[in-house]
Amino acid sequence: MTLNLTVNSGNPPLGVLLAVERVRGVASVTVQDGKVTCLRVSDTVQFSDVNSILRYLARLAPALALYGSGVLEETEVDHWLEFGARRVSGQSPLTPVLEELDKALALRTFLVGHGLTLADLSVWAALKGSGDWQAVQASAGSFPHVRRWFSFLGSQSPFSTVAVKSASTK
Amino acid sequence: PGCAFTGPSDLNSLLGQDVGVLRDIVINANPTEPPFSLLVLHDMLCQRYRVLSSVHVHSSVSAVPPALLSCLGPSHPRSHKRQDFDFGFTLIWKDVPRVQMKFSVHSMCPVEGEGNVARFLYKLLVTPPSDPCQATLVDSWVDAALFQLAGGGADERAAMVKALNAALCRGAWLAGPELCLADVLCACGLLRSGGAPSAPSNVQKWLKSCENSGFFHCVLSLLH
Repeated sequence: MTLNLTVNSGNPPLGVLLAVERVRGVASVTVQDGKVTCLRVSDTVQFSDVNSILRYLARLAPALALYGSGVLEETEVDHWLEFGARRVSGQSPLTPVLEELDKALALRTFLVGHGLTLADLSVWAALKGSGDWQAVQASAGSFPHVRRWFSFLGSQSPFSTVAVKSASTK
Repeated sequence: PGCAFTGPSDLNSLLGQDVGVLRDIVINANPTEPPFSLLVLHDMLCQRYRVLSSVHVHSSVSAVPPALLSCLGPSHPRSHKRQDFDFGFTLIWKDVPRVQMKFSVHSMCPVEGEGNVARFLYKLLVTPPSDPCQATLVDSWVDAALFQLAGGGADERAAMVKALNAALCRGAWLAGPELCLADVLCACGLLRSGGAPSAPSNVQKWLKSCENSGFFHCVLSLLH
């Protein structure tokens, strides 16, 4: 099965592109530029909000455990999906959001469980696209755990490849 | 119209080993915006499990209406034994910006957002559809109910009501042959936004079916 993903080329959904890269080999997704982001699943069903697209891709590739494992981890992933889309992307200033995130990451390598999940993809992508976060990063000091987690993920695939690609299209 | 709760009956397999104390689902919610969907789900949970329900008021809020204090039903007699229950459901009216659930705090982060708490509670009742498309469709209705219907502007609400009406052309319920989480969230969103009386016919009929399911008593009584 091949899925068709159209991405808003004016504002590429970085989290979705990361997920597409991660499920490569399990699900085949063709990506094309357009005006709005939309994943066509069948003749009657399409998903146009980022979190639904992320959920669908994770469920297509259950072996990757992008939705965590077990009900408790799934619930944590749901929490971070909303946090990424509504809090990180929506809030200005970002400081209270970063405080929460820093606390959550103090004892963790990944946001949920012991491996990469949608939670990391979603929150990382939202931060990457945030001007406030760029400014925080440029100054020294604060939010050490977010910095550690952000650069740890950024240094590996799919984050390194997708970030380079999306930067070159701007 | 019934709603068969077919989820796994073994809470240990779902929530991890019981460690000898009563599991307690603690929910903080703001009394200015009662999480209707969670009250419906509480009713559903009570049909399936022995639930020790309690309501508290945090010192950050004053003067909570009596209806909100009794929204989980009559309180249990003092003589109850905690081991006679499957889990606790503790609702705390508190001045929080978003609904928050604390459960299994040593391993799990506090979970924010009415939709995310609702998804969790519903998994205790019904095993989610194994089809990725079907499962995601339910999730997308849940998000739309909260962010477009209950929290959106007039245009977003109108678009959402139109989408509901179109979806209900195809069947009695939003996502499948029975009332499911999508119906609960969307019906609560519509009731909260006050858009129910002016809704088109399919939506009216479906709202009636939701009310007839017997799980909306509490929400309807809070609205009247």
